[in-house]
Amino acid sequence: MTNDTFSITDEQRDYSQFGLEENPFPYSPVPDNDPALYCGQEHATRAISDTVSTMLSTGKSKHLVVTAKYGNGKSHTLKYTRSLVRDREDVVVGYVAQPGEGFRDIYHEFVYDLGFDRIQTLAYEYLAQVARNTTDCNPTDASTVEQLIDDGEVLLSELVPEAVQQLNNVTKFADFARAIVHMVYEDTNLYAWQWLTAEGIRYEQRKEMEIHSALDDDTTSVRAFTALKNLLLDLGYTGVFVFVDEFESIARLSAKAEQATLNSIRHLMDQNSHGLCMLFGCAPEVWQDVMSEYHAFSERIGQEVALRPLTDDHINKLVSTYIAPARTNGTGGVDPFTEESLSIIHQRSQGNIRQVLSVCSRVLDAAVDEERSRIDADFIQEEI
Amino acid sequence: MLYRQRTLNTPHGCIKTPVLFPVRNIGKRSSDNTPAYADAIPDLRTAMVNARAIRQRDPQWNRLLNGATLREEMDIPEETVIFADSGGFDFQAGDVDTTPARTLETQRQIGADILGTVDRPISRENRDRENQRRISDSAEYAVEASDEHDGEELLFASIHGLDPETVQNNVRYLERNGDFDGYALGSLVPVRTDYKKVTSIILAARRATDKHLHVYGLGGLVYQPLLLYLGVDSFDSSAFIRSAGNRNYLVPGFGGQELKHVTELSYLPCSCPVCRDTPFTELREDRNALTKHNLWALTMELRRFRYMVAANEDVEAYLDLRFQGNEVTKRAYRQAKQQVRRLT
Ligand SMILES: [Zn+2]
Repeated sequence: MTNDTFSITDEQRDYSQFGLEENPFPYSPVPDNDPALYCGQEHATRAISDTVSTMLSTGKSKHLVVTAKYGNGKSHTLKYTRSLVRDREDVVVGYVAQPGEGFRDIYHEFVYDLGFDRIQTLAYEYLAQVARNTTDCNPTDASTVEQLIDDGEVLLSELVPEAVQQLNNVTKFADFARAIVHMVYEDTNLYAWQWLTAEGIRYEQRKEMEIHSALDDDTTSVRAFTALKNLLLDLGYTGVFVFVDEFESIARLSAKAEQATLNSIRHLMDQNSHGLCMLFGCAPEVWQDVMSEYHAFSERIGQEVALRPLTDDHINKLVSTYIAPARTNGTGGVDPFTEESLSIIHQRSQGNIRQVLSVCSRVLDAAVDEERSRIDADFIQEEI
Repeated sequence: MLYRQRTLNTPHGCIKTPVLFPVRNIGKRSSDNTPAYADAIPDLRTAMVNARAIRQRDPQWNRLLNGATLREEMDIPEETVIFADSGGFDFQAGDVDTTPARTLETQRQIGADILGTVDRPISRENRDRENQRRISDSAEYAVEASDEHDGEELLFASIHGLDPETVQNNVRYLERNGDFDGYALGSLVPVRTDYKKVTSIILAARRATDKHLHVYGLGGLVYQPLLLYLGVDSFDSSAFIRSAGNRNYLVPGFGGQELKHVTELSYLPCSCPVCRDTPFTELREDRNALTKHNLWALTMELRRFRYMVAANEDVEAYLDLRFQGNEVTKRAYRQAKQQVRRLT
């Protein structure tokens, strides 16, 4: 041991010797919530594009499973896909980090991911639609109708019963209709939100909103999800995207709970032949089991795409894509890494994207500390 | 604090607000069972009557049609300011048997100064759809009344709603579609124990308009200071009559006390003209005297509040003290204080 004191400093490392502004690799390579870049595998991007585009262009539901071993980019792929569809105004996108104990949890996470404001906005959008159809006013969106109500241009008491009635027709779920409408009332919107997220509320709070049932199991959650989707289609949305990550964790459930979860998802898909696109991220071995044991479920998922370990080419492309935005010296490619050094990283990481990024990040810092001008095979050998 | 003082100009004179309109039971039964108070309490030249009930009492209605005045009938001074509501509370269960025009005509025949529009009160027990319809109906009746009204009297639109959004929306709708001198907020009596709800609804109305704001039915001892604090301009109460009927003696700061539990006392602890010289045993048996005292109690409460403001005292500190005795109303006041502070 040469030195037993820590050296902690807020001084930034200087990467200028490599013509870089900063270390472009993530220190902790968990996927960004909004990945800006995707160094993808063409067959995967093709399959995902196809699934997403089919739903967008035809309105017909289509689903996809992305399988990959741990660290090979499932979450990244899902999140990247989400970032591509999320900004579209004609769809609603929700992300479920993992399926939890059953469909109720998936539904809960989905609605929670949409958020209170979004659901409240949907309620106002519905009131706007009702106002357009039943009054002389012509509110185009949620904020316009909210303004009309605030200003007293329309009577809330005339819009609300009509909205409940129409939503009831559209969703076939009277309690859901009431909960949505109650999102606009300051006194009750938190209760309505709790009900809609399947968190459960007290009987008196339900009574105040004239909601008769509890939304607290898989069956009613499927019903509520379908109701929500139907509400969206009625509002003119093309559909709903549901991203379910770490689907392999259903293998931790009891056989009964696992089957119940898969059955609920199957029912959901059966009830929603239009306007629904579910993308699952799943470990391949768990997906294999699902395929062989639960045909009814796996049949409904049109496609599976497997992310493979990265090749040398992939890694070169990945590294140059990461480095490019940080470059100041106009060079390109994988510099300061040499081709050979990347090849060694490939062998050591077995093409696992998470490990590749982690090693690159670490080695780059070490090279700065040791005032190297290149990161060659020898240096890599020493460092890893 | 949203407390405010204004002057209300009516055909029968000016009154300083905030002000209480005692509910005169005239017409409700065969005789006026409210004792005369207009002369006895100088700052209470106000009365609230039920237009529908008066019209339904044939003998009296005929006398009014033949030239008698309600003030003569009630034996009150000419300068008494009368607020005639539509009697909407009677429509709680039944159908509306009048029109805005007909009610307006009745109110004018009575010689009322303030006219409350026809309304259909709502309740938590109704289906939501039914309540929503009543709220809309009341709004449309108010707009009709506004179209019909072109007189000197003040027209107050009666409004309903069991949540802040609805009430605010109603006031703003009526501001746009009618011409009103003020607003009168109803349907709060059935939910009066839900203080948080009541105060948030009143604040929504207060926030939606700067015009005169009346609150129907909550002018009793407990609510009065809260209403003043929330910037309500007027309120009405029949608590003084009802309490007297139950031999309840109103003590500001304590609420009603049942006299049957009180014994061995020569005089009651009040210096109003009634209690001052009347022995306890006599007062206990005299419903009229109790009614008068109770009305004095309500008046003293209002006077005290006005005094605190005039003397530049810290009103919130005064109310802290006022609500100290009772956990429920103490909490109600604390919530109201938070709501008000968020607003100002
Ligand atoms: Zn007294």
